[in-house]
Amino acid sequence: MADDKDVLRDVWFGRIPTCFTLYQDEITEREAEPFYLLLPRMSYLTLVTDKVKKHFLKVMKAEDIEEMWFDFEGTSLKWHYPIGLLFDLHASNTALPWSITVHFKNFPKCDLLHCPSNSVIEAHFMSSIKEADALKHKSQVINDMQKKDHKQLWMGLQNDKFDQFWAMNRKLMEYPTEEGGFRYIPFRIYLTMSDRPFIQKLFRPISPDGHTHTLGDLLKEVYPVAIPNDDESKRYQVVIHGIEPLLETPLQWLSEHLSHPDNFLHISVIPAPSD
Amino acid sequence: MSSCFLDEETFCQCCQLLLQHSHSLCDGWSWEQVKGSEEGYLRKTALGTGRTRCNLDQQGNSSDQHQERTFSLSFHNDDEDDDGAVCCIQEESSSSSVVQYEYHILYSCSYQTPVLYFRASTLEGRSLCLEEVWDSVHPNYRQRLQHRPWDTITQQEHPLLGQSFFVLHPCRTEEFMMPVLKAALDEHRQVNYIVTWLSVVGPVVGLDVPLSYCTQVPEPPHTPSSSPQPPSSSPQPPSSSPQPPSSSPQPPSSSPQPPALGTKPG
Repeated sequence: MADDKDVLRDVWFGRIPTCFTLYQDEITEREAEPFYLLLPRMSYLTLVTDKVKKHFLKVMKAEDIEEMWFDFEGTSLKWHYPIGLLFDLHASNTALPWSITVHFKNFPKCDLLHCPSNSVIEAHFMSSIKEADALKHKSQVINDMQKKDHKQLWMGLQNDKFDQFWAMNRKLMEYPTEEGGFRYIPFRIYLTMSDRPFIQKLFRPISPDGHTHTLGDLLKEVYPVAIPNDDESKRYQVVIHGIEPLLETPLQWLSEHLSHPDNFLHISVIPAPSD
Repeated sequence: MSSCFLDEETFCQCCQLLLQHSHSLCDGWSWEQVKGSEEGYLRKTALGTGRTRCNLDQQGNSSDQHQERTFSLSFHNDDEDDDGAVCCIQEESSSSSVVQYEYHILYSCSYQTPVLYFRASTLEGRSLCLEEVWDSVHPNYRQRLQHRPWDTITQQEHPLLGQSFFVLHPCRTEEFMMPVLKAALDEHRQVNYIVTWLSVVGPVVGLDVPLSYCTQVPEPPHTPSSSPQPPSSSPQPPSSSPQPPSSSPQPPSSSPQPPALGTKPG
């Protein structure tokens, strides 16, 4: 039986083999070769693609370069979503490597947030952690931490340092024993077949009468469409970090072990592949 | 402290009451419902002034060949000798111009407060960039924004529409709402949470709240909850004419009366 700590490592070190190809209409001085990279599931596109930019800069003129952005099969990729979530949501059942198109012009400013520097990624990341703690602990744990502790969380993510990150993050995963779990579970359920980007609601890990809530309980409450009826075949897959956890899994356990570094459970509900 | 937080139901009720007054003033607020759910948000468009850069093209890119469009949003912190750069807004040719604003008031279940989202564009339809939005903030508020990162304006994804908006970060809301709510309680005054909140955050981003909102919009009737509540003033009937201010005082109570904290069953 795998130790729970192993799950934390497996989640942290998950990688997606990716092929970056320059958009055909970009102006180049000579032909651009595709660039291959293993992307960390738990990081953000703009944090880990400096090499991609450098690679394509070699065949382009400076004046043809604006803010870099990415699309997959016509869908612009939101850099502020963790990479693993983007893959699960858009490319789950496609062949590897994940083929991403790189753009340097016509930034889709209605759909994508600008990312002019790493400070913006840091601010976004810390904002998510703060929001997650507002749900879990009424912000008490995050507010008790010092500036340097916040920095340690960010540096751990930025530099891919599991131990450095978790030395601090474990505090955000604690709860008073008598409570049995967090106050509310930080989660977002992402849908591909809706205008709405995600569903986020208040949901407790333990019911008032002490009953442990499961992933199935959560879905039944906030997105019952995702759960198949007994007699029909499964229409949707519920994916976290590239796997489909059993619906009986306790939500508190999922929150402690399968959250992203931003302390949110990012859950994708995608159409099940038809055979 | 539960008294400065807002549950979703009370949020909706406060918004509906604000809307009634808005209709009487014809000042443009509407309620947008999310398809297939009870959630929604207040929306309003308005023309205002802002500072925009004249040398940007439709894409928001500088037409100056040698202009380096890099700027650092490293937030300067009072208690740290950081890389000291307060948000570096380039001093280019910016001028005062008419800006089209679109404001949305949403409910945040994480912070249990309202949140103000907005977009801004020139009359030619070009969206303002973050530096221009910062530039457009009234000088009275600018210092506060620069020195306290969590009070700041950032670009965020609209949680219901998925598009990029600017947001005033909500996590300090309780700091300014608490004294106001407490004072109102002590003085037996009605307070509509949304109106009070909006009158504080709105002006930072060019949204003015006429004084009549503060005198004419009542608070929603209190729903019975587990904690003892004194009887509330009678609910206002919907009407199109402005309501006279409530003259019946709230009976004094020994315990504070928090709005019911909406917790989902389970």
